[in-house]
Amino acid sequence: MTTIATETKTQATALRDVVQMVRLDDEAAAGNAEFYKNNDFIALKAKLENDKGEREEKVWERVFLHRMFPFDDPLSYISVLDKDQNEIGMISDLRNMPRETLELLEGELNRKYYAPQITAVTSVKERYGFSYWKVVTDIGPIQFTLQDTYRSILRVSQIRMFVVDMNGNRYEIPDVEKLDRRSYRLIELYL
Amino acid sequence: MVIIIASKEALAKRFARLDNIEFSDVLVALPFNLTPDATTEVTGKKRIDGLVGVTKDYVKVFTDDKPVAEYKMSDIKEFKCVPCVGCTTIELVTEAREILLCRADMTLQLLYATVSKRLGRFIERGVFDSDFDEEVDVYCPKCERPYPPGSNVCPHCADKKHYLARVWDIARPYKSYIFISIALYFIISAINLINPYLNRILVDNYIQSETIPELGKFLIVIAMIFGVSVLSQVLYIVRSLTLVEASSRIIVKMRAMVFNKIEMLSLKRVSKRTAGELMNRVTGDTETLHDFVTFQLGDMAQQIIIFVSVSVVLFVYDWRLALMILLPAPILMAAYRALHHFLHRHYNKQWTLNAKANSILHDIFGGIRVVKAFGMEQAEMDRYDKVTAAERDISMYNERTYAIITPIISFFMGIGEFFLLYYVGNKILGGTMTLGEMQQFSAYVSIIYGPLRWMSNLPRRLVRVMTSIIKIFDIVDEKVDIADKENAVDLKIEGKIDINDVAFGYDDTKNVLKHVNLEINPGEMIGIVGKSGVGKSTLINLVMRLYDVDDGNIKIDGHDLRDISQESLRSQIGVVLQETFLFSGTVYENIAYAKPEASRDEVITASKLAGAHQFIMKLPDAYNTKVGEKGYTMSGGERQRVSIARALLHDPKILILDEATASLDTETEKQIQDALQKLTQNRTTLAIAHRLSTLRNATRLVVLDKGTVAEVGTHDELMRNKDGIYYGLVMAQRQMSRMNPAG
Repeated sequence: MTTIATETKTQATALRDVVQMVRLDDEAAAGNAEFYKNNDFIALKAKLENDKGEREEKVWERVFLHRMFPFDDPLSYISVLDKDQNEIGMISDLRNMPRETLELLEGELNRKYYAPQITAVTSVKERYGFSYWKVVTDIGPIQFTLQDTYRSILRVSQIRMFVVDMNGNRYEIPDVEKLDRRSYRLIELYL
Repeated sequence: MVIIIASKEALAKRFARLDNIEFSDVLVALPFNLTPDATTEVTGKKRIDGLVGVTKDYVKVFTDDKPVAEYKMSDIKEFKCVPCVGCTTIELVTEAREILLCRADMTLQLLYATVSKRLGRFIERGVFDSDFDEEVDVYCPKCERPYPPGSNVCPHCADKKHYLARVWDIARPYKSYIFISIALYFIISAINLINPYLNRILVDNYIQSETIPELGKFLIVIAMIFGVSVLSQVLYIVRSLTLVEASSRIIVKMRAMVFNKIEMLSLKRVSKRTAGELMNRVTGDTETLHDFVTFQLGDMAQQIIIFVSVSVVLFVYDWRLALMILLPAPILMAAYRALHHFLHRHYNKQWTLNAKANSILHDIFGGIRVVKAFGMEQAEMDRYDKVTAAERDISMYNERTYAIITPIISFFMGIGEFFLLYYVGNKILGGTMTLGEMQQFSAYVSIIYGPLRWMSNLPRRLVRVMTSIIKIFDIVDEKVDIADKENAVDLKIEGKIDINDVAFGYDDTKNVLKHVNLEINPGEMIGIVGKSGVGKSTLINLVMRLYDVDDGNIKIDGHDLRDISQESLRSQIGVVLQETFLFSGTVYENIAYAKPEASRDEVITASKLAGAHQFIMKLPDAYNTKVGEKGYTMSGGERQRVSIARALLHDPKILILDEATASLDTETEKQIQDALQKLTQNRTTLAIAHRLSTLRNATRLVVLDKGTVAEVGTHDELMRNKDGIYYGLVMAQRQMSRMNPAG
């Protein structure tokens, strides 16, 4: 931190010169990073620059993935964290990765992020301060309960919503306008 | 498909059967409904039927009743509940690797968290606590609907009569008021029935009379009509007053009941709910009940009485006519409901947009400095314009619809009256009915439509008030978890504190403290240091018994905290927290908060010791200065000094300083430190500070790390260990302070 303070005094430095962004997809392309399966989880072997600017090979027996913009694009801007949740680097676009790695990492994301997609709404009943929903999703019909209906709906965009039930389960409505008329009328009030 | 958490017993039985073992050998069995293997999006989402069974020797995983994996308990070092996004998992840590044990949707999160924490404790301590908090059950066993969060009362299955009986228990002392008002309701209703009758006499005997009426009798009838109206209004006022009197008292009583209960509950229970939610329980729910008792209950009684009595009168008079009026009633009620529903739907949209516009305004005005500093005025204006435009459109649509639809609907609702007119007109022309009778009749008809319209809304109102009643009793019935034992002692504290193998976590997910052992002698000053989030404040909360320990015990002078009465404990502990809180009131009242009987001399002494006197004397109103929400705004340092004075006034045997001097400049801190040092002699002191210089007077320092005591010793002793945590902390701070003068 000392260095930052002194440098800003002498000359204006571009932000990107001060904060190092480690792009693991670029590193992987250059052969400096490799993700592989380690039992149930994912490990990373990488040769990254340390503070002194030297490349040093290190193995992380387990890494964690976290989407930086989960609602915008599930495959880009993935943060890769070590077991203490410190960021090792990020993957700017998973699609840049070789196929096996892509599948491996996508599997890990599928395991971590869970949100069935609602295809139709069968009924919404409000009672005693809760609303009871019956919906059809891509994994079949589901019932759930919302507490404070209006606030339980995350409006990600004009058309895309996430419904979060009182247990913390999420259900995605990818496009409300594509719902059938009956479903739309049932939830119209909350949109 | 609802995922019901089958009873723990049923799961354990299923596991015993699948694994061919005795039911008594099962520690616990857990369901899971998502596959841990999520190589593709489809498999990751698929629901499965899984079961994890745990005995004291092994953990076994089944899917579709077939065993798929088994792990030896002796290999397992840790059970970890790892919540993901929208789902949750349990992981095992063994010497060799980490294992994904099971995965499920969030419905099972609480169960997973609780069970993995308990299994962790089983590995460490060899005992498994199978007595689950009922909170783990999230579904009502009867109707399979989920419970409201933080509650174990299902509003659908709750015995409504039972709750009404309890409300009645509270209302019982005021029953004379209630009976009087009910009697008045009957009288008022009866009087209301008289007026149309008098009107008929007026019309038939005087206005339409063929003979010239006597003026005297005519005036008497007029006077009677006048008298009846006045009487009914007077009785109406009396009735309202009686009812307000009774309901206000009942509500105050209920409010006190709820408030007292919340105050009694431990922090653990209270912090489960937000301040807003608690406020709502104390004021909102009781208010709903108040409205109901004062206005709606009365209305309901009145409307029903009117409805019944008018119907009877109509039937006695002409049953065919009565049927003509009453038969369409259900249709009318349905029509009203539909109209209401329709309007509600549209006005709700408008209301939502209005709320949105308001919140934008709130944002902009609240952050006006930021808006201006970044030159975003135009962008914010546009944003606001867009929302208000949307609101304008929908409100115009609503008004237009309303303007068109209501006259049409009332026309159709009034269509029955045309038939009535036809029927009655025929009768009058035929001479079987007089004009006065007709007038009386239509008066009754208009009276009877009132209750009909009103009743169409009744179910909604009843549900609302029942919800509030259930919510009120839900909190009233909550058991007090930190309660004094029957034989709790009032202890005169010397100041010895023993912390024995304490484990604690705020929720069931993980333990903040694991194995904390510490022996503190009377009069010692202990400095507690460690990284943020390591459990320093938690330890102090436990010593104050704001929470009860999960495992182990804390003893003061050899008495377990749980055996000491809370009042005697807290009255001898003085606390200065980092978050200072000033109540609305004067500076004086704030210092004397916990000891209102303190003399002025005591208060002044305490504030001098805390270094507060000096700045208080600079205020025009000195100790009488109003502070808090509407009063003088104190700086962070000033607040801190007032709260130190508050703690000192107690003359506590145990002094707790949680970052007490953090917001003071170094010089003021030193002043207060010196004062405190005089004070901390002969007083057991526990102090938390990030600025290590604050703790230079400490007899011993305790370094917490990873939930346990990592290092204990004096500053010099700890500094000798160059690899120690404390050494690292000191070095880091030295570097920072060396940098400070330059920056």
